[in-house]
Amino acid sequence: MKLNLRQYMAAGAVAAVSTFSSAVMAQEKVVKFGFPQDFTVVYTFVTAEYSQGQRDYLSLVNERGGIRGYKFSAEIVDHGSSVPRGIEAYERFKREGVVLIDPLSTPVARALVPRAMADKMNLIMAYSGRSDAADGTAFPYVMPLSTNYWSQAASLIEYISRQEKGDLKGKRIAFAYIDSGYGREPLPVLQELAKRKGFEFQGFPYTSPGNDQSAVWSNVRRFKPDWSIIWGAGAGQVVSIKEAVRNGIPTDRIASVAWLSESEMNVIGNDAAKGILKLEVVAGGREPKVIADIMKEVVGRGKGAGKAEIVGTTYYNMGVAMATLMVEGVRLALEKNPNAAPTAESVNEGLRSITKFTAEGLLPAVTISKTDHQGGGQSRVAQWDGRRWVARSDWFAADQDIVWQLIKASSEEFKKTGK
Amino acid sequence: MFYRAAGIRHTRYESDRRLWRLPFDRWLVGAVVLLLLIAPFVVNSLYLGTYMLPWLVWATATLGLNLLMGGAGQVHLGYGAVMAIGAYGSVHLARAGLPFELVLLAAGFLSATIGVVFGAAALRVKGLYLAISTLAMQYLVDFVIVHVPAISGGTQATLQVPKITFFGMRVVSDVDNYYLALFVCALVTLFMLNVRRTSLGRALAAVREKDYAAEIIGVSTFRYKLLAFWVSSFIGGVVGCLFAFCYYKAVTPEQFHLELSIQLLAAVIVGGLGSVLGSFFGAALILLAPVILNNVIGAASRAFSLNVSADIAAHAPLMLYGALIVGFLLFEPLGLAKIYNNVRNYFVVWPFRHARK
Repeated sequence: MKLNLRQYMAAGAVAAVSTFSSAVMAQEKVVKFGFPQDFTVVYTFVTAEYSQGQRDYLSLVNERGGIRGYKFSAEIVDHGSSVPRGIEAYERFKREGVVLIDPLSTPVARALVPRAMADKMNLIMAYSGRSDAADGTAFPYVMPLSTNYWSQAASLIEYISRQEKGDLKGKRIAFAYIDSGYGREPLPVLQELAKRKGFEFQGFPYTSPGNDQSAVWSNVRRFKPDWSIIWGAGAGQVVSIKEAVRNGIPTDRIASVAWLSESEMNVIGNDAAKGILKLEVVAGGREPKVIADIMKEVVGRGKGAGKAEIVGTTYYNMGVAMATLMVEGVRLALEKNPNAAPTAESVNEGLRSITKFTAEGLLPAVTISKTDHQGGGQSRVAQWDGRRWVARSDWFAADQDIVWQLIKASSEEFKKTGK
Repeated sequence: MFYRAAGIRHTRYESDRRLWRLPFDRWLVGAVVLLLLIAPFVVNSLYLGTYMLPWLVWATATLGLNLLMGGAGQVHLGYGAVMAIGAYGSVHLARAGLPFELVLLAAGFLSATIGVVFGAAALRVKGLYLAISTLAMQYLVDFVIVHVPAISGGTQATLQVPKITFFGMRVVSDVDNYYLALFVCALVTLFMLNVRRTSLGRALAAVREKDYAAEIIGVSTFRYKLLAFWVSSFIGGVVGCLFAFCYYKAVTPEQFHLELSIQLLAAVIVGGLGSVLGSFFGAALILLAPVILNNVIGAASRAFSLNVSADIAAHAPLMLYGALIVGFLLFEPLGLAKIYNNVRNYFVVWPFRHARK
C-alpha cells in the first residue's frame, strides 16, 4: 500500500493548498463556475479557444465591478474527455461551491447527468451532450442553452430549401458524417424532412476520427448531389472539405454543422475552399459589441487569457456566448434574491428565466424556460469568403415540431427508465 | 527485525503452503483490510467516491486481465469490450427486473460466453497475432453497441442505471457503492491469490511457459486456453457491471473504447505480470496518477502564481505521467510489485544484510 499512501498524501497536500487559496478568495464575494474541460485529448480543436472566450468575458464582467458586488471566478482543470477524471473534477468543484459545471465533452457530460440531477447541480451541456436535455421537465438541472444538433440539421435543410426557392422535390442531398453518436444524431431529422419535402437523401458515414475519407467522397461524387452536408469535428472536417474539393463538388453547395472555424479553414488553405457554408449558432467576428468591449477593456489592457488574434474566432465567440448566458443566469438569480449568495439552485432558477437575451447581438434572442432548455433553436448561415465568415441569413429556427417530437420521445424514455 | 523470520519453522505442509507465511505479512494484510473497511468513516467523501471507489473497480478489472496475461500468458487488447458486454448486459437485465445479485452473475456469464468465442483465436495464434485478433473483438463489440440502438439506448446512446438492492440492502450512496465494489474486489482477489495453488493455476502456468510442452505433459491447451479466456471474461463481465452500477451510473459506448483496454493492459504491465498486489499498484498508477498530477501542478501554479499558459498547464501532467511510467519500467521492468518485493526482501533480513538468501 506504499504507493497509495503516498498518493493520498499528495492528494491531501493539494486539498490543503486549495483550501488555503479558497480561504484567500473568500475575502470578497465570488461566484464560482466550474470548467473541467478537455484540453488534451479529443476536444483539443475547440477547448483552448472556447475556454479563452469564457475567461475573457468573466474578466470583462469583473473589470466592470461584477454583478451586484459579486465577482466571478473560473475554476479550470483538464479532464481529457476521460469520464473518471471528469467525475473527479465534478465532485471536487461541487464541494468547492461552484454554481454550475461546464464539461464541454459529450462522454463526460452524459456520465454526469445522473449525478447532476441527484445533486441539483447545473450541468451546462453547451453544443454537446444530450439533445433531449432541451426538455426541461425531464432534465431540470441539465442546461444545453444552445441550438441542438437536431435543430441545426433542420436549419441547414431550411436554408437549402430557401436557396432552391422552396422546392426541394427531386433534389439530391448527400450527408457525409462521422460514424459516431454525434454524427448519427441528425439522421432521424433528415429522414423525416426528406419525406416531407420530397428530396432524395443519402448518408455517407466515415469512421472516426475521419483522417481518411477518400472512398466516402468518391461515393458522394457518384451520388451527384445537388447539396452536401458535412457533419464532423476537428481534423475530420478538414479532410471532408479537402476531399469534397478534390472530387469537384462546388464549395458553395457544401454546408457544415456549427463545428467549423477559422483555424480549420487556415489548415485547408484560406482560398482553397472559398464559398463553403456553415451554420452559426453564435455570431462570429469582432463586430458584436461584447467582443469589441473585450478587445478594448480586457485584451487592450493586457488582461486577455490568451493570444489576441484568437479573439473573435468562432469557438472563442461560442465560449463568450456561453459565459454571457451563465452570467445572465446569475444576474437573474441575484435579482430575485438580492441578499442571498447565489447557489446552484437559485442560479438554476435564474438560467431558466432568461428571456429574449441576445448578449448585445452575439446571440439570437434566447429564451430559456422551465420546459425549454434549448432556447429557441435559432441559428444562421455564414459563408467563408477566403478571410472570414460572412453571415448569409438572419437568425431563424426551422421545423421545431420534428425536433421537439424527437426530444419528447427521447426524454419520455429517460423519465421512464432513469429512476 | 520487522519481519521476524527467525525461529519460524514450517513443519507441516499446510503451514508451508499458507498464503502469507510470516506473521508480519499477515498483520500487514489485516491492517490494510481494516483500513479499507473503515475508509468510509475516515476518508473525505471526495476521495472515497472519486479515488478509492474507481481504484477498487479498476483494480478488480486489472486482476481479471492479469489472470489471462500473467497467469496464462495470453495477450488481450479487447478487455474493455469484455467489460462493455457485462455493463450493457447487466443494465438491460436490471431494467427488465432481474434482482441485482443475479444480474451480477449474469453479466459475468454473458461476457464469458462471448469472450470465449473470441478467445478461440488463441488456439490458432499467439503473441502479437493474438493481440490483433483480440483488438478486432474490441472494434466489433464497439461497432455492434453503437449501431444497435436497442443495446446502446436510442438516439442519445445513454442508458441510465436503475436503482438496486444487494441482499436486501439499498445501494444508493458512494459509501454503499464502495462496500459493494470492495466486496466483489475481495472475492476476486481471494480467487486470484488462490488460483495459482490449484491445478487450474498450474495448468495455466504450463500453458504460459510453452503450450506444446504443456500438451506433451498432458495439459490440454485447448481446454485451458479457453478456460483462461472464460474465467477472465467472467471477471471482466462482473467488473463491467460494477462500472455501470457503482461508479458511472450511466452507460455510454465511449466508456469502454480502446482507451480502457489499453489502460488496463498498461496497469497489468506496470503493476507486474501475474502479480495480485501489482494489479492494485498498477491500477492506482494508471488511473489516479493523471488526476493527482493534474491537481498538484494546478495547485502549485496557483500557489506560486506561475503564469503558465493553459496549454502547458494541461500538457505538463501528461508528460510527467508518461515519464513516470517509463521511469518505473526502466527502474524495474518487472513492475511495481517487484519494486515492493525488493523493498520487502531488503527489510526481511534488515539489518543483517549478509543473511539474505
